[in-house]
Amino acid sequence: MNRKLTAILIEDEVNISSLIATILTGESYKVLTAHTGKEGLSLITSQCPDIILLDLGLPDMDGLQIIRKVREFSRIPILVISARTQEEEKVQALDCGADDYITKPFGTSELLARIRTALRHSQRSSASESVYRCGQLTIDFEKRLITRGGEEIHLTQIEYKLVSLLARQAGKVLTYDYLMRQIWGPYSDDNNQILRVNMAHIRRKLEKNPAEPEYIFTEIGVGYRMKEET
Amino acid sequence: MSSDTPGKLFFKNAVITALFLLLATAVAYLFFRISNNTTNVVILYLLATVLTAKETDGYLPGIAASVVSVLLINLVFTYPYMSLNFTLDGYPFTFLGMLVISAITSTLTAHLKEQNKILQKRDKLLMEAEKEKMRANLLRAVSHDLRTPLTSIIGASSSYLENTGSLNEADKRRLIQAIDDDANWLLHMVENLLSVTRISDQTAGVKTTLEPLEEVVPAAVSRFHKRLPQAQVQVQIPDEFVMVPMDATLIEQVLINLLENAVYHSGSSQPIELQAEVTETDAVFHVRDFGTGIDPQRLGGLFDGDTYSPGESSDSHKGMGIGLSICKTIITAHHGTIWAQNHSDGAEFIFTLPLGEQIYESETDSHSY
Repeated sequence: MNRKLTAILIEDEVNISSLIATILTGESYKVLTAHTGKEGLSLITSQCPDIILLDLGLPDMDGLQIIRKVREFSRIPILVISARTQEEEKVQALDCGADDYITKPFGTSELLARIRTALRHSQRSSASESVYRCGQLTIDFEKRLITRGGEEIHLTQIEYKLVSLLARQAGKVLTYDYLMRQIWGPYSDDNNQILRVNMAHIRRKLEKNPAEPEYIFTEIGVGYRMKEET
Repeated sequence: MSSDTPGKLFFKNAVITALFLLLATAVAYLFFRISNNTTNVVILYLLATVLTAKETDGYLPGIAASVVSVLLINLVFTYPYMSLNFTLDGYPFTFLGMLVISAITSTLTAHLKEQNKILQKRDKLLMEAEKEKMRANLLRAVSHDLRTPLTSIIGASSSYLENTGSLNEADKRRLIQAIDDDANWLLHMVENLLSVTRISDQTAGVKTTLEPLEEVVPAAVSRFHKRLPQAQVQVQIPDEFVMVPMDATLIEQVLINLLENAVYHSGSSQPIELQAEVTETDAVFHVRDFGTGIDPQRLGGLFDGDTYSPGESSDSHKGMGIGLSICKTIITAHHGTIWAQNHSDGAEFIFTLPLGEQIYESETDSHSY
């Protein structure tokens, strides 16, 4: 990396804020911190950062509002920092346009990995690669061909759409809602059981042991995440 | 019953009484016109009186209704019509009888209602006492389980701060490691406690959605691995696709608690078995370890947050206390059951979740779209 990446951290708890700032500075990011939503927004508009780390529980405004405001003018990746028990909040944040979330408390390596993933997705944009590779699994998006250990795996139309959607954004969690809308259209049913059933079929075809999945993981109450390419 | 003001209550009773009497009069009048039979009319008024007594509060409306009935029968339905006449042969007796019957019924129903009220009140008190007991148990377990790691964290950090000069690198590392371990344990406890706040206070129930068994179990195992990467778990889930109504976050918590429990208390490093199976009515989860088993004397009270046997030193902070009592709270809120038993090579924790009405049972064959 020839230039320092800028990260803006919006977090009201000073201890956590300084901790994350220390970690990121150590990884040679340039870190700007804000303790309120207003401060954060003005920093974002003036600095044009490469990534935003956002805690949803801010004293002065709703974190979701910040996401919406930022999304009005920019595609800067947003990584939400949240507590575990609030999955509804996570889902809302993701559906508002956040790129990913990380659950408090997190390890250093996990945080850095999530940031890298978010950055990679924002840089790759639409000119994405034509092949996904992870472990024994290969997905060729041009040929619409999925193989595991050289053996072809047959999926139905919808199953293939789901897998390729997840694979193109590997490492990122996709919410039930997002997947429903992408596959079954904007007027699809609120009930996501059809998605669950299709994921079950996929799991049986893709995973060696559906009880211990290697490629597609469930984030309880939120959605699915495909393993990053290796 | 309701917190109506006396005036409002009187009004309500009067309206109900009037309504029944009016209805009885209307029907009786019709009957009388067609069949000219006074017996039916008497029975109709009797019915109206009994119903009035049943639907109103207190004795007064029933008795008032019976008096009005008697007067009405005399006035409208017996000769001479449209005038009161208490001198008819045998009639005074009929009227008296009716008055007594009505009075007795209204007294009886009023009494019954009062007793019902008392019973309901007692039930409510009992439920509250039960809740209070649960809360007390939890608090006891919490204060124990939280204080011990905190003591150790404070001890380790202060000895680090006070003796920085005299400690060697290995000692320092050991102290920091202890702080790290205990902080993690505390976090786990707090997450457990937070999860309980998802259980509704009023109904002691949870908001369930249908979740696939095959998603919840692996998700729990992977979170468990994040915390304890060295522990091994063998997972077994049914081949068919099963959806179970549950609050998945809470069930995940239960599974993690049971798995951790198995790691810390089995005294064995053999892989833990986590098995889920489905019966006709329930999903059944088994967590088996292959260690020392549980002292049979403690099996009964294991889930009450009261698990410290006298021999155990109280600073063995990885007690089963909060974890298991929270498991029980969560499973009970799901209308399931949880218990522990010993098998030939160790301990086994089992819990069940009712399946409810299944919509997707086993649709595992591939469809083409």
